Amino acid sequence: MIAIAHAAEGAAAGHASSSGLPQFDVLNFSSQIFWTIVSFAVLLYLLTRFVIPAINAILDARGKSIEDDLSQAKKAREEAEKILANYHKELGAARQEAGKILEQARLEASRLREQVKSELEQESAKKKSAALEEIELAKQRVIEEIKGLAVDLAIDATHKLIGKAVTKTDANKMVEQVMTQLKDDQQRAH
Amino acid sequence: MTMLIANALAAGAAEAAEAAPKMDPLHHFQVIKVIPISLFGIDVSISNSVIWIWIALGIALGLLRYGLRAPQLVPGRMQSMAEASLLFVRGIINDTIGKEGQKFFPLIFSLFLFVLFCNVTGLIPGSFTPTSQLVVTGTFAVGVFIFSTGLGFYKHGTHYFKFFVPGGLPVLLLPLMVPIEIISYLARPVSLSVRLFANMTAGHTVLGVLFFFTATLPWFGAWLPFGFSVVFTAVEGFIGFIQAYIFTILTCVYINDALHMH
Repeated sequence: MIAIAHAAEGAAAGHASSSGLPQFDVLNFSSQIFWTIVSFAVLLYLLTRFVIPAINAILDARGKSIEDDLSQAKKAREEAEKILANYHKELGAARQEAGKILEQARLEASRLREQVKSELEQESAKKKSAALEEIELAKQRVIEEIKGLAVDLAIDATHKLIGKAVTKTDANKMVEQVMTQLKDDQQRAH
Repeated sequence: MTMLIANALAAGAAEAAEAAPKMDPLHHFQVIKVIPISLFGIDVSISNSVIWIWIALGIALGLLRYGLRAPQLVPGRMQSMAEASLLFVRGIINDTIGKEGQKFFPLIFSLFLFVLFCNVTGLIPGSFTPTSQLVVTGTFAVGVFIFSTGLGFYKHGTHYFKFFVPGGLPVLLLPLMVPIEIISYLARPVSLSVRLFANMTAGHTVLGVLFFFTATLPWFGAWLPFGFSVVFTAVEGFIGFIQAYIFTILTCVYINDALHMH
């Protein structure tokens, strides 16, 4: 029994020396504390000196580039909008111009038509009046001729009837009288 | 007679223990002095723990340096990673402290990288995890504690003691609350260091046990712990990151408390 106890004790002792958390071995503390602090300080220095500024620089550069791109895009967009507005304005002006030209052409055409029409009317009126004049003249001439004939006939007839010659002036007067009489009758008949 | 039998049994047991592979999942937490140095009578030997701190920080700086070898406006993969790590920590600081916390950025960024890379390089087979050493995490925790407390007194003077007196409480409760506040404040470095150390130690111990079973079980049994060890290595990688994140965010919270006194 005692031997078993002894063996167990020995085993326990051996166990304690071989295992148990090695982390609690105080002998290793000072060196690890020292080197942890030193290593951390070196890491801190190297990061602050080389890594962090490099990353910050590239991040800033990228941010700036993106900002530039954005502002450039905005500018380009504004410019495009301006061009579009200009184009619209020009288009409107052109359309207006075209409308004006069309209107002018229409006016010109109507004016020309009016002119041609009035010219034609004038001409035809002139021709008509000339023809009428001619007709009137012919009529007058015929009337004169008839009148002369009638006077001669009247002189002849009176001479033959009463044997008395009527003077030309008297005959004329008489014919004139008859004609006015006739004209009056004609007018009354109408 | 009984004594003899007992002796024989004990000897047999010892022999069997000697012959069989010994399970010692804590073995890889053993700090081994590589170059013994003594400075003014204080032991500052370079141990495997210290060497792996340097390897981890070397990898961290190497990756950052490689990512930033020729910074481009349109970043490559490694440059993106380097920028993302910085922006990640900047985001933590902005969220917990605010804009004025950015002057502590180098400190917090270094802390994050230190813890993260020590955690993660510890997963390399045959490596050593410096953050599984209580004294390493304790150094940081005490450092953060001293820094934030100093900052609080620097910023608020003796007014910082009001930190331990919660507002809006009946005066009768104060004798109870003030000691609780003081204890919780003093417990900060303990919880901060033990959380990280315990997480790392536990994870690696579990991995050690799984590897031991994988190596010693016959082939038809070994696949189970082996499969677990594969999954658990991935989990450990995640835990390594999460713990670094928690360590960083708690540091930020402590600094924020010092600056603004809740």
